[in-house]
Amino acid sequence: MKLSNIIRLPALLGAMLLSTAAVVEAEHTSNWAVLVCTSRFWFNYRHLANVLSIYRTVKRLGIPDSQIILMLPDDMACNPRNAFPGTVYSNADRAVDLYGDNIEVDYRGYEVTVENFIRLLTDRVGEEMPRSKRLLTDDRSNILVYMTGHGGNEFLKFQDAEEIGAFDLADAFEQMWEKKRYHEILFMIDTCQANTMYSKLYSPNIIATGSSELDQSSYSHHADNDIGVAVIDRYTYYNLEFLENEVRDTSSKKTVGDLFDSYTYEKIHSNAGVRYDLFPGGAEAARSRLVTDFFGNVQNVEVDGSKNTTLEEDMLALSKTIAALRKKADEEEAISVGKEKSNAPEPETDMKNETLVTHKSQFAKPLTDDNWLMKKLSALGAVVGCAVLWQMGSWLDPAQK
Amino acid sequence: MTARRSTDHGAAGDTLSSDTQTATLTSTSTPMATPLEPATAATSSTLEEPPPEKLSDVRRRIWVIVSFWLIVLLLGLPIWWKTTTIHRANLPLKEMLDWADGKACRPVFPLRISIQANSLQEQEAQNLLRLTQHALDDLNDFSGHHLRLQLSSPAAAQKQKDEPDTALTIRLLPGEAVTATLDPYEPVLDITYPPNAAPSATSASSTLATYVAGQLRSTFAEEQAIISYLLSSNSIPSDYRPQGLTPEAAESLAKRTTRSLKYAPTYHLTFSLFTSGPLPSSWDIEAAIQDYMKPVLDLLSPIHNFTIDTQVQLYASPGVQNQVLSKDDLSSFINAAEWPLSPSIGGAPTVNFIVFVGNQTIALSSQQDQDAVAEGGLNTSQSWLIPQWGTVYLLSLPHDTAHVSVDALKQPLLTFTSHLLSLTGTPNSGSLPLRLSTLSRIRSADLLLRASSTLGSLARLALALKSISIPSSVADGVSKTIVHLRRACETLGEAEGLEHARIAEAEAERAFFEKSMVGQLYFPDEHKVAVYLPLLGPVAVPLVMGLLNELKAWRKRRREAAEKRKAKKKE
Repeated sequence: MKLSNIIRLPALLGAMLLSTAAVVEAEHTSNWAVLVCTSRFWFNYRHLANVLSIYRTVKRLGIPDSQIILMLPDDMACNPRNAFPGTVYSNADRAVDLYGDNIEVDYRGYEVTVENFIRLLTDRVGEEMPRSKRLLTDDRSNILVYMTGHGGNEFLKFQDAEEIGAFDLADAFEQMWEKKRYHEILFMIDTCQANTMYSKLYSPNIIATGSSELDQSSYSHHADNDIGVAVIDRYTYYNLEFLENEVRDTSSKKTVGDLFDSYTYEKIHSNAGVRYDLFPGGAEAARSRLVTDFFGNVQNVEVDGSKNTTLEEDMLALSKTIAALRKKADEEEAISVGKEKSNAPEPETDMKNETLVTHKSQFAKPLTDDNWLMKKLSALGAVVGCAVLWQMGSWLDPAQK
Repeated sequence: MTARRSTDHGAAGDTLSSDTQTATLTSTSTPMATPLEPATAATSSTLEEPPPEKLSDVRRRIWVIVSFWLIVLLLGLPIWWKTTTIHRANLPLKEMLDWADGKACRPVFPLRISIQANSLQEQEAQNLLRLTQHALDDLNDFSGHHLRLQLSSPAAAQKQKDEPDTALTIRLLPGEAVTATLDPYEPVLDITYPPNAAPSATSASSTLATYVAGQLRSTFAEEQAIISYLLSSNSIPSDYRPQGLTPEAAESLAKRTTRSLKYAPTYHLTFSLFTSGPLPSSWDIEAAIQDYMKPVLDLLSPIHNFTIDTQVQLYASPGVQNQVLSKDDLSSFINAAEWPLSPSIGGAPTVNFIVFVGNQTIALSSQQDQDAVAEGGLNTSQSWLIPQWGTVYLLSLPHDTAHVSVDALKQPLLTFTSHLLSLTGTPNSGSLPLRLSTLSRIRSADLLLRASSTLGSLARLALALKSISIPSSVADGVSKTIVHLRRACETLGEAEGLEHARIAEAEAERAFFEKSMVGQLYFPDEHKVAVYLPLLGPVAVPLVMGLLNELKAWRKRRREAAEKRKAKKKE
């Protein structure tokens, strides 16, 4: 072994480190999709169809259900007015049933609220929330956020009851960025005056696009006469058309720029907007991102070379070490346990008794019993106060007479 | 005037208003009696003035208005203030930001390395130690990662070995040539040397010392590289200054960080057997895990816990049907839409290990892979690793195999085991015990940095979002985090350090993701007006008007009184 080589190696290894952080463009390792419909009722059939068709597309391109958060406020498939029960179609030709037999809705009905949406993005959820309903992203995750519903200038209505503001959305994204919860986000929104919704965003690494400008409506594409309502919005329709025709599988090299270039006023009947300025590298870098970076599940797999036999040897060595370690640990434990036993055999039994006792005493208890005395005192104070007020009132009354 | 007053007092409806109502009644009753008298005079154009109010009535009215205002100011305002202010617990913002910027803690990993030189004289050994330490210090350009040598006497050798904080033991043995081998079972580096290479007690330089130093450096090179990569990518200032760059090494390091899973105290391992037909329908997975994976899981147990479940899926079609799979096909091989791969059991992240029974093969096409083929002599491969996700192994079996035996599972399981090590972020070089102790140091540095950056995020968030509430549980979490971070920082490189870093990270996460720190964060001013105006407007109008009227009346009375006084003086 050459001495000089040995000495140089660490220097070399170390040498690349600092520059690494700057030079190597960190790739993303997982893809997530947050697909939100915000309106309910039968005449908003098209909004659910919008979301479901995007859901179908991202699933087709390989994002697993565990990484898709689907929010559907209503169930069109089971609506009594649906002439085709159990199905949802986004096209009058009714070729593809979007509801199918393999659909996983994460938030449904009245669970679709502004609060739940913001909780989802910021992951401020309780312990009881299952993993499938959480956005478990990290700094290597690309996220597609697609929203549709009825909106206006800088707001999007949720279920006719509340609305999310452009500021709320921007703050939620900022919290995600602060906690390193995304690598890049593609934000798409199909609603009236949609472009105002992304105007307030201020966190980096976001590409945003919307269907219509301020004071412009976003129109539906066509209605199905048998279903009786419009089945899809124009903006989503032409997005889908591009995705179906140009992006056939995950190996597609179409870029986000190509997708955005396909939007025209003639097709969409409103001015679709795009926002690049949050993206490092501006329009050029943003446009060069692949469509599958957001709509597909890109995995940079590492193929193993041929089998290496050293592995097995390693394993054998391992087992031996473990045997030795275990033996040693067991012996030590035995010694220490022996010592403890000889020292204090009685407390142990006491402990057992105690645990038994604590097990027995299971009666209803308040969830938190901190400040118990204060609570009782303040309640007493309130009662006494009321009594005094009453007394005073009845004392003042005869005094008047 | 009286009518208006009676309505607005009536609305209040407590004891106070009941006296005022009687008051207004009496005051109205007096003018009611009078109109009859000047009925004849009403024909004249001048309107009849009501008789002057009684002084006691005026005084009572003033009291009424004053008491209403007092209630509003002393009771209403504080209640409104109290109920609408956002509770923001005090956070030690500066300290939190210091942690995030790396000012609060300089991560230092002092590694103790003991040298056993039984065959050397005490003084010779001391000299060798001194020289080696010098050589090490000269080589070292990263002060955060410091190797400190110590001599262990033969008698204390056994005891020394038991000390957990000795990272490596060097055994110096006389031999024929200078060689170095890592003991595969223990963190021990055996170095042999020819008799003439040992330095005398007085010599000022020694090739053996340089050699030992070089060996040590190369043994810890990967750990050092990884740790300083971690520090630099978290923008912790370190005095580590590189001179050049090898792209391959940089790439491999970046790849390593992308590949490894985020630290979690528990991982859930899912072993799945997928087959495209009805067979095989059972496998000896439990025995295979016991034989080929359990030992490694046991070794990792101080750092991670593992839970395991297994499944068999028949008639599972892969995402790609080609007989020969290219590298591009592999990424879409997993049929994510149909294969049930995310059990979401418990709160632990899942690592997937898939055995797919079929005769598909992987074609290695890229140049790099071709080289590997040339070396290994095989032109296909059976398995691939998906970063942060798991491993797929293609197992080809005879068609009529109904049961997969332990032997058939040996190769897949061994592959899974080695992939599990790289998924958990274990470094590649060195002997296994050394790799594991390195892993625990890397993980504690990683956790320390993550907890610090979470603190920084929370602090910046608290500063940026003025309207977000900060419950006191968050402040508790932050202070706990800081305490444990401080302890972790002091004990970095020891087993205790990992434990503290783990607690700190968990607490920081809990503080950041505090459930109640949500809600509608932003209210535009128009919204506030829209909320308050319908409520407070109708209440405020009579209050303000009553006050203004009374002020006007009071000024009028004063002026009249002054005029009267003047008139009296003139007289």
